[in-house]
Amino acid sequence: MSSTVEDVTQVRDTTGLAAALEAVLFTLNRAVTVLELQEILQSPLADIEAATTSLTEALAGRGLFLQRHQDQLQLVTDPAQADVVRRVLRPEYPSRLSPAAYETLAIIAYRQPLTRARIEEIRGVNCEAVLESLEEKGLIEETGRLETPGTPRLFGTTMRFLQILGLSSLNELPPLPQSGSTSS
Amino acid sequence: MTREITAELERDPIYVVRTPAFDGPIELLLSLAQRAEVDLKAISLASLTDDYLRAIEQAQPPLDRLAAFLVIGARLVQLKAAGLMPEAMVGEEEDLQAWEDAIKGRLEEYKRFKELAESLMRRHASGRFTFAGLLEPDVIPQARVQVSLDALASAFRQVLDRLPPPGEVTVEMEQVSLAEKLEELRQMLARQAQLNFSAIFRHARTRLEAVVTFLALLELIRIGEARVAQASAFAEITVHGQERKETV
Repeated sequence: MSSTVEDVTQVRDTTGLAAALEAVLFTLNRAVTVLELQEILQSPLADIEAATTSLTEALAGRGLFLQRHQDQLQLVTDPAQADVVRRVLRPEYPSRLSPAAYETLAIIAYRQPLTRARIEEIRGVNCEAVLESLEEKGLIEETGRLETPGTPRLFGTTMRFLQILGLSSLNELPPLPQSGSTSS
Repeated sequence: MTREITAELERDPIYVVRTPAFDGPIELLLSLAQRAEVDLKAISLASLTDDYLRAIEQAQPPLDRLAAFLVIGARLVQLKAAGLMPEAMVGEEEDLQAWEDAIKGRLEEYKRFKELAESLMRRHASGRFTFAGLLEPDVIPQARVQVSLDALASAFRQVLDRLPPPGEVTVEMEQVSLAEKLEELRQMLARQAQLNFSAIFRHARTRLEAVVTFLALLELIRIGEARVAQASAFAEITVHGQERKETV
């Protein structure tokens, strides 16, 4: 039964690492990549992932919230506390985006990373201005370039995108309605 | 099927094409082109379209007929393009079918994203945001700058453009201090809580003075004694004095 002892140690390690993770995210107060965390916490990726899950569970029902966007983690306030935080912070958030902006955001969120050409193919209209405005608002960003002639820019959503929707991660987006063909 | 439709349409053609290479209803042109019985390369689709546009200017046909022309026209363009690219010639009918399927698929895909966009919008409107902490020293709280930085910069550029360009031979150094301008702005805002952006530059006689005034404004915004706003896009930017809030 030596494995039980190991399991217990493992659990304690994960809890300890989760606490360290919480402390680091609190102090840095910004999005931190998993790669950075491996360095900071001197732990392999698998342990970081386990600590992330553990911290998310530990924060359930609390005022703070662990947000994950792709390989970035950030400690933010819980969406359920948005009202009270807004009262103290009085942030100026643009309350509404245009329908075109939500459409473009939806396409990017579900199909990222993708090029402007692909977005325009789906929406059937020129999206230059919308993309520019979403980028300016920090809701999308260039995530790389496609290795094809002209090396077009690839777009993806940002941490801020999760923040304005109060999502813990992209996995929390409503499921893509199914119908017929779904290209990926 | 095509023959039936053709017969039906020939009684009331969408448009009668009159070109040296083909003379007759456009529907017939399409079905012949689909069977490769007419050479589309000999027909200028651009001038055909020009003629059509001229024709509908007077006739003003109903929408469904305009749409029908568009569909036929699009198919002709597709066929002609396929003809110009020999390797794409294989199975034109299949190509058209595939093309139609692709368009249908795209419309369905778009519809799904439109639904998702609505759910994102509802979620955003619910205001359940998450917030990062406040300790971001380099960030000016948005409440004080309710104007895009580009709009602010271009408004300032307009102010500069109104002032004489820097004199070529001015040697005498102007004395403009930031502290003085800060005090001047404070007094202006104390007298009048809201000022037009251009009004704060009304005493500026030179570009240097305008630049220092602008710096003073930015400083007031930074320390929380002023904020800038814009009622709507392209509206005049307004400067508002406000009590300095002790943050942190």
